[in-house]
Amino acid sequence: MTPEPAHVRETISTFLQRNGKGTDSLDDATSLWGDGLELDSLDAAELSAVLEDSYGRDPFSVGDAMPDTVGDVVGFYAADAG
Amino acid sequence: MIELLREAAQKAPDHVAVITPEAATTFAELTERAERAAAALTAKGIRRLAVRESDPVRVFALHGAASLAGAELCVYPLAADAATVATYRERLEHDVLVTREDGHGEGVVDPDELLGWAERATGDLPLDERPVMVMTTGTSGHPQAARHDWGRLLRVAGRINPTPDHRWLLAYGLNQFGGLQILIHVATAQATLVAAETFQPRDALAAMREHGVTHASGTPTFWRFVLTEVRRDGGPVPPLRQVSLGGEAVPSALLDQLRSTFPDARISQIYGATEMGQNITVRDGRAGLPLSVLDEGGDVVFKIVDGELHVRSRSSMLGYHGQEPLAEGQWRATGDLVEVVDDRIMFRGRRSEVINVGGVKVHPLPIEEVVSKVEGVAIAHAFGRPNAMVGNIVALEVVPVPGTDEEELQAAIRAACAHLPRASQPRSITIVPTMETSGNKVNRGTRK
Repeated sequence: MTPEPAHVRETISTFLQRNGKGTDSLDDATSLWGDGLELDSLDAAELSAVLEDSYGRDPFSVGDAMPDTVGDVVGFYAADAG
Repeated sequence: MIELLREAAQKAPDHVAVITPEAATTFAELTERAERAAAALTAKGIRRLAVRESDPVRVFALHGAASLAGAELCVYPLAADAATVATYRERLEHDVLVTREDGHGEGVVDPDELLGWAERATGDLPLDERPVMVMTTGTSGHPQAARHDWGRLLRVAGRINPTPDHRWLLAYGLNQFGGLQILIHVATAQATLVAAETFQPRDALAAMREHGVTHASGTPTFWRFVLTEVRRDGGPVPPLRQVSLGGEAVPSALLDQLRSTFPDARISQIYGATEMGQNITVRDGRAGLPLSVLDEGGDVVFKIVDGELHVRSRSSMLGYHGQEPLAEGQWRATGDLVEVVDDRIMFRGRRSEVINVGGVKVHPLPIEEVVSKVEGVAIAHAFGRPNAMVGNIVALEVVPVPGTDEEELQAAIRAACAHLPRASQPRSITIVPTMETSGNKVNRGTRK
């Protein structure tokens, strides 16, 4: 089943809070990397595992291109629905 | 083995050798069955045999028989299904399978046909080779079959004094080297072996209570589950006089828990391997090995090469089945990665279990050591989980103590691991009801 975008955002938000990277302004334009959430490779690896556990697949492992923003992650699952 | 059984039968014929849920068997009865089966093996011309049998009395007697008849016996694991048994038979060239089960094709012999043979072999031991084969548990790969010789295995038996009041729990499968060693010890000490309904820790605990077990040797995984069962059912704690652990690395938290649960027991760690043929015992109650094991001169000597423990044993196996024999006195890599910390050799994990996290080599055991100390953790297993970003991340499976809040436990584990190097911090924590095991050892290595 395709996850709702809000659910994906909530999963990302929970992961960020657990790792001390919580932010009040998590919108689709927020970058995952240096100028946004500042995830490093280990953070991203953990997020990919969290997403895989939640939804069975994740955009870091099977996507054609690495996601840059929160919106890219949400969009990866939305594309499934299409 | 037959020489041990004969001596026990001569000195204490009516002493109970084995207690199972079905019966009690004396040393005299055990020896008679062994001698009858030895005559049967000789009469049938059986020189090599596999045994798949759940009853320890039959296995015990068949070991005695094979050692007298000069036949190479190998006990198969009970957990193996028929297809796996067929694979073992083909790989190990076992034309004869001794079992009471159906569905194993040709070459099957009923153990009771051997053990109830009309004649009885009462002669001397064979003068030439007396082989016995022991399979590894294969928790980190395919099981191997180690060829041993009874003469070498029994070298240490002469140092064991009779202790007929000792009741030893059978907590290892009889296909395991640990199981064979318990048989050797019980026969030499003219003690009593207590076998539970199954090898599950719950049944083992029940057998310890019912039959007054005084001594028990098992894997750390076995003991963790026994402790969980003791906490869960709230019943009486068996008044053990000795608790031995071996077959896996021993976390210090487990030693502490065993000491507090069994205050009258001597806690011993056993380090060995199927291939070594002999174990060393550490009785100081501390995790790891003392540096003195590196000293030359003993039956078993160690050295550290590139962070890996190597061993040379006078009782070592002759070699693996299908491979060239080992040269006498040859050093062998154990696969155990170690580090000298102060006056101690500490285990860091198996060479095959090193987790490569973005090019950083991470050892699982120090992580398990940290996690095992978190309140609410009954058992923890760290392993590499493949990951597209960094190759692998450290993943954890954790069996909680009953009644533990899972979210709070996860948070506590993350907090406890926060001081570890970032690559060593668990990135995936799964709470599981139980741990997948082989022979009461955690199945290790990469998973999902």
